[in-house]
Parts: sequence; structure tokens; C-alpha cells
Amino acid sequence: MVEEEHPARLKSVSKRTAATGFLGPATLVVTVMLAAPLLLLLRFSLNRFDIKELMIETVTAENYLRFFTDPFYLGVLRTTVLVAVTSTVLCLLFGLPLAYRLARSQSRWKSLCMLAIVLPLFVGSTVRMVGWMILFAHGGMLDSAVRWVNGVGLEVMYTPFAVVAGIVSINLPYVVLTIQSAIETIDIRIEEAAQSLGAPPGRQFWLVVWPLALPGTAIAGILCFILAMNAYATPYLLGGPRFQMMAPLLYWEFSTNNNWPFASALALILMSTTLVLTACSNLLIPRRYRA
Amino acid sequence: MTRLTLDRLEKRYGAMLAVDQISLDIPSGEMVVLLGPSGCGKTTTLRMIAGFIEASGGDVLLDGQSILDLPPYRREMGLVFQSYALFPHMTVARNIAFGLEMRNTPRAAASQRVQEMLRLTRLERLADRFPRQLSGGQQQRVALARALAIHPRVLLLDEPLSNLDASLRAEVGRDIRLMQRAAGLTTIMVTHDQDEAMAMADRLVVLRDGRVEQSGTQEDLYERPATPFVASFIGRSTMLEGTLADGTVGVESARLALAGRYAGTGACTLALRPERLRLNGAGAGRVDGVVELASYLGPVRDHLVRIAPERHLLVREPTAAAGRLHDAGDTVTVTWDVAAERVFDQAGAPQAELS
Repeated sequence: MVEEEHPARLKSVSKRTAATGFLGPATLVVTVMLAAPLLLLLRFSLNRFDIKELMIETVTAENYLRFFTDPFYLGVLRTTVLVAVTSTVLCLLFGLPLAYRLARSQSRWKSLCMLAIVLPLFVGSTVRMVGWMILFAHGGMLDSAVRWVNGVGLEVMYTPFAVVAGIVSINLPYVVLTIQSAIETIDIRIEEAAQSLGAPPGRQFWLVVWPLALPGTAIAGILCFILAMNAYATPYLLGGPRFQMMAPLLYWEFSTNNNWPFASALALILMSTTLVLTACSNLLIPRRYRA
Repeated sequence: MTRLTLDRLEKRYGAMLAVDQISLDIPSGEMVVLLGPSGCGKTTTLRMIAGFIEASGGDVLLDGQSILDLPPYRREMGLVFQSYALFPHMTVARNIAFGLEMRNTPRAAASQRVQEMLRLTRLERLADRFPRQLSGGQQQRVALARALAIHPRVLLLDEPLSNLDASLRAEVGRDIRLMQRAAGLTTIMVTHDQDEAMAMADRLVVLRDGRVEQSGTQEDLYERPATPFVASFIGRSTMLEGTLADGTVGVESARLALAGRYAGTGACTLALRPERLRLNGAGAGRVDGVVELASYLGPVRDHLVRIAPERHLLVREPTAAAGRLHDAGDTVTVTWDVAAERVFDQAGAPQAELS
């Protein structure tokens, strides 16, 4: 008995050491690559900017005050949130039926359909945005086509619509794949049971599929929202110089103005807003459905 | 009260016939079990009746009226699945009430019906639990209550006991049977388990490769199997291929004297029921052999008897009746009477016994 216990205990100790050994590097990387820059950002955001000396070390709230007292910056934040919410809602509206159809498909073309949805992810978002620019630009395909039909062109480039369309096109694959995998885990017999009990397709969806798919759908929504809040290339290329969202603004302050303190403050404000709104969205989901 | 009729029902997947012209007439209140190995078309048949699979041909009729054009939610079938398929986000009571809600049953009547179903399935105390908090047996009883609450015209059971432990199987099976009888429900159950099928059915239908192999009562199928497949699928049979001549079957070097007399000659398949064979007993059927293995199983003792170098017979004797116990190495004569044997010709048709 004693002889048996000893190696077992040794084994568990060595197991624990092994676990620490494996988790250690990852923990270190996360700490160094994520936490440290965030702390650095926080520190920078409290510094003062000087045109000649760039960053003067001090502790001041003036960067935050500047943001929250200037209607221009508040407007940028509002636009960012509006664009993110709109594209998230659209992504869910387009994504849910697509994901459901895909999850329930038994067609031999299913894997081909999946591939078609994943394929856009192989093309960089900047390249895809250039595609949208060709479509939307003044004298572009859409403009010319509409002009040919009713004589007056259609200017879509540099409008909020263009930006939302661009973000939706980028985020939709993520949304579809996330919801689809959530729906795949729902036993199809549950839907059949609902039907056999007299539920027509619509009621069956709302009473059975929707509540069960809600946690997965919420995750898809949050994913989409976070991606949209932080979108950079899309608003920059499709929104043009006058359509301001947080990420391009931040980058501009950072690289063109060299105003690191204010850029840091912008980054932290963007991150906190995203976090707070994501947390709030969780309250929309009834407790018992939460993942 | 509903009579369910399948009229040459057929399902084709490309060139493959999953269900090949099954015709079946189930009078009101009868419980029919579709029995067969996996891939025999039994589940496809059930799902065509429920409306989840479109039939390629033939018809399904309730009281003489075709229901093939109705969507599943208008067929009024009570369905019970192997995987229970309860709504995981609803309590037991709401699961049972679901079908009534779909029918817009007034609140008071619905809650009365739910209470009645909870009582019948002995689930009153679990009304407010969620399915994940219940055992498999309890979950399947909820599924049964949910299916029966709507007063379905037909009850369809898709391997309802297969996910349950052996001990629960008998109990839930009895519940199903008692409630089905009490409600006088026309019922089809699908299973691959012959014990389950024998225990629950009024009538059995053995399917093989999408076709009805034989249909009848438990006794019909056990005593008078129509094909070698049924003989081995219902109960146990040792199947021996040999040549029939002069009231004996030659199997390799062995010669088995038959208990009955048969008209045919030539290649045949002999099916022998192990539990009806005796060692050194009476009976006109007999063959000599050597016990190769004897295992004591409590009520019975199984003997593997070698009758030819590569041929064995299984003999199952009740332990109480065995006069002398035989062990490996004993030379014995296996004997039987006519009820233990069944002779099929080369095409698989049973040989008629001459009286």
C-alpha cells in the first residue's frame, strides 16, 4: 500500500510541475504583451503633450478633459458606437438565417457553402475595401449603373452607409460561423418534437431554437461589436477624411501629431466604452440563457 | 380512435431503396413494433409517418384519409425519441404544456391536463425541475407525458428505451405500455432490440433491407419463422446449412435425424432452438456429438456440442431439470422434437411438414 502511494504522489507532483512548466511561458507572454502595454498606455495618458518636447512626464487629467469637453471628440465616439451597433444588428439579422440554414443543411454542398463563407477571410480586409471602393466610388460600378438607369448617379463613397456595408461584409463570416456552431449543438429532434406537438416553423423557431441559440448569438454579437468598434481600415478607406471613427483618429493623433498622451487617452476611452457596452448588452439576455 | 394504414410506402435515395413498398394496417388501439437491424428502414418508415421525411411513393392514411400532404405540425402525432428531445430551457410542466399551448387550449383546461399527465407519469414532484436535473428514466417519462398530453391520434416511439439502463428499461417500457393501453392509442414503436419488441408489442413486424420479412404475433414469429433471418433474429437459433434427404440433414460429416417429416430434398438450412434441445433425452430428432464447453448461467446451462469438426450446436438445458450434468469431453446425443426444428429450402422458404 505504502509503496503504491508513494509513486502516485510523486507522479501528481511531477504532473503539477509539468502543468506549471507548460502554462508558464503563455502566462509570461500574456503579462508582458498585454498587461504591460496597457499599464504603459495608462501612464502615458496622464502625461502632458508639448509640441517641442513631445511628452512631458507628469500626472494630469487634461487629455481626458480635452476629450470629454470637446463636442468634436464626443461626436467621433458617438459615430463609432452608432456604426458598431448598426453593423452588429445587421450582421445578426443577416447572419442568423444563414447560420440556421447552414447548421441544418444535410446537403452534400454544405462544406462548399462553409468554404464560401470562410473564403473572404483569406483576402485581407484592406484588399476587400479596395473592392468596395471600386464598387462605390464616384464613377464606379454602382454609380455608373444607377446613372445608366435613371440619369442621376448614386454617391455612396464616403458615407456612413459605405462604412457600415464594409464592416458588415468583414464581420459577417465570424458571426455566421459562431452562430452556426451554436445551432449545431441543438439536437434536431428537439425541433422535430416541437413540430410534432403542433408548432409551425415560426413558433418553433421563436420558442425553441431562438432561446437555445441565444448564448451563441450573443457571443457572435459581442465579437462583431468589438471588431466594429475597433475598425480601422474600413472607416479610413470607405469613410474618407471627413468621416471620423475612433481607431483612425487615434492612429492619426499618434503618428501624425505625435501626441502620444492624447492617443493613449483615446485608446483607453475606446477600450472602456467597448467593455462597458459589452457588459451592458449581457443584461439584455435573460439570466437563464446566459452562457 | 384511429386506424393507421401504410399503403405500399416507399422511400428512395437515388438508386437505393431505403423503404420498399411497406404495407401495414394497424387497427385502432393496437401497438405494432417495427423490428430490424440498423439500416433496415424502420426509422425511415417512422419518420415518413411523422412527416419529417417525404415519401417517394405509396401513402399513409389515418382512418382512410391520406396525411402525406400535411406538414408534421398538423399530423397530430405523439412522438417519443431515443434522445428524449425535451426542451432544455423549459420546466417539466412547461414541456408537457407545450403542445396544449400550440393548440391554444384555455389556461385552466391546459393546467388540469398537465396535472393529470404529471400524476399518470408519477412526476408531480418534479414539475418545476428542468430536464437536465432529471434521470434518463424520468426524462423519458416527461417525453411520454408531453406526447400524450395533446391526445395524439397516433403514438410514435423511436427506440424509446435504448438510452436507458437495463433496470429502467423494463420500468419505462411498462409505463409506456400501460398508458398506451389506457388511452387506447394506435402505436408504432421502432426498435432493434428483440426482447423489448417481444415484451411490448401486440404485433411484430420484422423488417430487413426495407422490406417486411414477416409480420405476426410473438408466437407466430418464434414458433413459425418464415425465413432463416427471422429464425435467427427472433429468439436464438443455431443455423446449419446442409442437404436434406430421407428425413435427415447431412451437415459435413454429421447426419442429423429430423423429428418431423418433410417433402423436399436437396440443399437446405436447418434452424434449431438451443432451449428446446436436450442432451441424451427423448425425441425423434437426434445427432451425436461431444460437449466442448459447458457454462453454468443460473437458470440454464449452455453446452457447446461439436457434431462435426467445424460444426457446433448450442444446447441450453434448464439447470433444475438436468439429471446428470455434462462436462466438456462427454460424448452425448443431442435430441429434440419437432417444435425445436425448422427447415428452410435454398430460397429461404420454410419446408412444410408432412402430417
